[in-house]
Amino acid sequence: MRFDYFFRRAKECGIEDAELYVTSTTSLSMSLFHGEIDQLSQNTSLSVIARGMVGGKCGSASCDVWDRSKADYLIREILANAAVIENDDPQFLFEGSPRYRRVNTFNAQLSSVSLDEKKNVLLSLEDKIRHYDERITEVEGVSYSERTYSTVIRNSKGLKLSQKGNYFYFYGGAVAKSGEQVKTGGELFLDNDFSKFDLDAFAKVVAENAIAQLGGEACESSTYPAVLSQEVVSSLLSSYIHSADAEEVQKRSSLFINRLNKAVASSKVTVEDRPLDKTVFARAFDDEGVATYNKPIIRNGRLKTYLYNLTTAAKSGTKSTGNASRRGGKIGVAPAFLSMKPGTMTQEDLFRLMGNGVFITEIHGMHAGLNPQSGNFSLQSTGFLVKDGRRDRPLDIITVSGNLMELFKDVTEVGSDLRTFPSSVSCPSVLVRKLKVAGK
Amino acid sequence: MISKTLALTVVNEALATGADYSEIFFEDSHSQTVQIENGKVEVSSSSSRSGVGLRILKGNRCVYGYTNDLSKKGLLDLVCSLRASFDGERAVRVSGFEMIRCRNRNPIRRSYDEVGLEERIALVKEGIDEIRSMNESSIVRTVGAFQSDCRYVELFNSKGKRFRRRTEFGRLFYTVVCADEKGFETSFSGPGCQDDMTYFYTKVNARETARKTAKTGLKMLHAAECPSGKMPVVIGNGWGGVLFHEACGHALEATSVAKNLSCFSGKIGEKIASEIVTAYDDSTIPNAWGSIDIDDEGNPGEKRCLIKNGVLTDYMVDDFNGRRMGRGGNGSCRRQNYRYCPTSRMSNTYIANGKNTPEDIIAATKLGLYAVGFKGGSVDPATGEFNFGCSEAYIIRDGKICEPVKGAMLIGHGDEILKNIDMVGNDLDLGQGMCGSISGSIRTNVGQPTLRVRELTVGGRGGELK
Repeated sequence: MRFDYFFRRAKECGIEDAELYVTSTTSLSMSLFHGEIDQLSQNTSLSVIARGMVGGKCGSASCDVWDRSKADYLIREILANAAVIENDDPQFLFEGSPRYRRVNTFNAQLSSVSLDEKKNVLLSLEDKIRHYDERITEVEGVSYSERTYSTVIRNSKGLKLSQKGNYFYFYGGAVAKSGEQVKTGGELFLDNDFSKFDLDAFAKVVAENAIAQLGGEACESSTYPAVLSQEVVSSLLSSYIHSADAEEVQKRSSLFINRLNKAVASSKVTVEDRPLDKTVFARAFDDEGVATYNKPIIRNGRLKTYLYNLTTAAKSGTKSTGNASRRGGKIGVAPAFLSMKPGTMTQEDLFRLMGNGVFITEIHGMHAGLNPQSGNFSLQSTGFLVKDGRRDRPLDIITVSGNLMELFKDVTEVGSDLRTFPSSVSCPSVLVRKLKVAGK
Repeated sequence: MISKTLALTVVNEALATGADYSEIFFEDSHSQTVQIENGKVEVSSSSSRSGVGLRILKGNRCVYGYTNDLSKKGLLDLVCSLRASFDGERAVRVSGFEMIRCRNRNPIRRSYDEVGLEERIALVKEGIDEIRSMNESSIVRTVGAFQSDCRYVELFNSKGKRFRRRTEFGRLFYTVVCADEKGFETSFSGPGCQDDMTYFYTKVNARETARKTAKTGLKMLHAAECPSGKMPVVIGNGWGGVLFHEACGHALEATSVAKNLSCFSGKIGEKIASEIVTAYDDSTIPNAWGSIDIDDEGNPGEKRCLIKNGVLTDYMVDDFNGRRMGRGGNGSCRRQNYRYCPTSRMSNTYIANGKNTPEDIIAATKLGLYAVGFKGGSVDPATGEFNFGCSEAYIIRDGKICEPVKGAMLIGHGDEILKNIDMVGNDLDLGQGMCGSISGSIRTNVGQPTLRVRELTVGGRGGELK
């Protein structure tokens, strides 16, 4: 792709500095139902996000086709949008960091796995799930998706960065029935190394996730000690770390205001942003082109840093932490890869330590039932009772309620069972002192 | 734009390996957003989307692809890649296209292309200024925004049909964050329309909307935590319709019904709700947020009666999923944009008016919850388990609305909740939102009159209801 026309015209039209953030993607997805591929999708797409500085104000525009007429569209819109910006926050187009670490998120081997091989895996997967147990009445769907992307940032200050990556994921969902009760269970596997996918183990987890919930009923509404599964911790942690967004702090809508170096979780909790770890989420630079680095956000319960982009860093008189994240026409802040440090106890150890309580395996309705500013939550949940240190009967139609800061301060033990999720979070199960559960 | 000649070539090439249907969906859309925070324009951004989605069907199999390369080579490369999934002989050849004519039920008098940034900013600032004039120190953050979307689509299919349509949408948003020494509360309003700016000058008052949003936030800031447990719940009109949307709506889409993956599969003619419940999905409401005159596969939008006096009467069906059900689509086929394979989705979904007044319903409730503001929710169509969160609620005691409470989450089974509706009011209203599913995020209205559910599980941090 050629960008010189855009930069030349932008300058001619009065845009002092300009930038293009371009992502090219090819993707494949297919789903199987009753032995037949019923949906197959193959795509190529482009995303071009442009920013331009005019009189110290930043205008932005985006498109998904690249030609001269679209370059003219971007320039026209940048000028119009910059002209109405009133906010005085400093805006930046970045000239580049002195050094970038190398990351490898592209596995060339993935393309050598043929389409037929992927289809055959889906066929086997559906068959194994369906025949796992007589209580499995339907396989809701098995699917495979794959994405290869290339990201380029260029600007008139000399920034020239690029990163290429790929990943795939398998999804399986099963329906289990006992009497009149119907339950579903699913699982997702994400990586870019096809050889790591264990079909038998995956099929077992999908089926067990559905079957295990049969026979559930609500527990008495009360406050219980609770073990939270890795999946539950990953969702709650993502929301909690939103409070470390420097923009939220500066706009006085964060739980972490005035809490640097103070306790925001129990001493058992250490959470880092680790963009340079060898994962499919690794990235050498953030969405402004600032070099990323691994950093503690919470260490032994104490808040060690807010997360900054260039604008919020300038407002606080500090440096960007390499956490710029594009959201629509705005540069916001987000961690690249959240990693909670594991402990030494297995999940079963946590049950034994707890004795009697609940094990919450899933939460639903995060967008409706959790307030990221206040940290308060009430969420539909799935799980089990734990009796005498062992997993007992399943729980049905319950909600869990609480506050994120209180919850993370109530962590009494952190498990060793790390899992990584597509939300770019890696975390273990945890044991919390108390959790309000509404049931009967 | 795609020429008729190129479209004919592409549609026919797609059928070369034995498919029985092909369609090419072209989209050229653009949107604009201005966002004002604490009185100053902070964000102004524009976006253009242009591309083609190609869908090929054979029996119960579908292949889909999209591209931004609108050249003949780009489209034919896509066709060749997709049709390779089938290995039969050509069964269909198209000789031409007939334009589908449909009355435009959603006319726009002044396009958003003619509405300058200054006018949009002025509208949003009316509300921002109104909030500022309240002089409330507990309001720490005020965000207002206006977004417009202009969408041009054109479809050619192997039934020999062609249509094109242009639709435009506008939406006004206010988010208010209130804080005190104990914590934060956030409140939100987002009225929208498939209409021009007249809507925001005549039907919606920016000042009133903003003031109401701020007052709700302040009320909830000082509210007690909602009690938890099973209790009667009176659900307010308008956005209370998210109840039906989550509890029932998704499970009535052929997307899950066709594969027997819905708790309502195979239940046409059965009583699935209380006899006082009648519900519709109506694509024909003029200029409504979720309305469509032609759906994304060329079928006319309809008013579908989903439930009549408690009996299930219809689903939302698209042609492809309809194949498994032995029927054609009923104008419910939708997609977010050309990057998504379309499927059956909701449009304007609501429970119809009943015989009670809202005052009757409150007066008849001895002890329970009155939920007025909502945040959205989610559902598992196979099990019927759903949830939705409340942004504003009150305790009802002895038939009177009493103290405000916050943080309520309502959960249950869709089939049970419909049967537990025991009073339906006469104050139907609709609320605008965005609905997410496998064909992307689309505009839908939710709606209902005030109604009462005999018993619902309520999650909250406030202990037992007393």
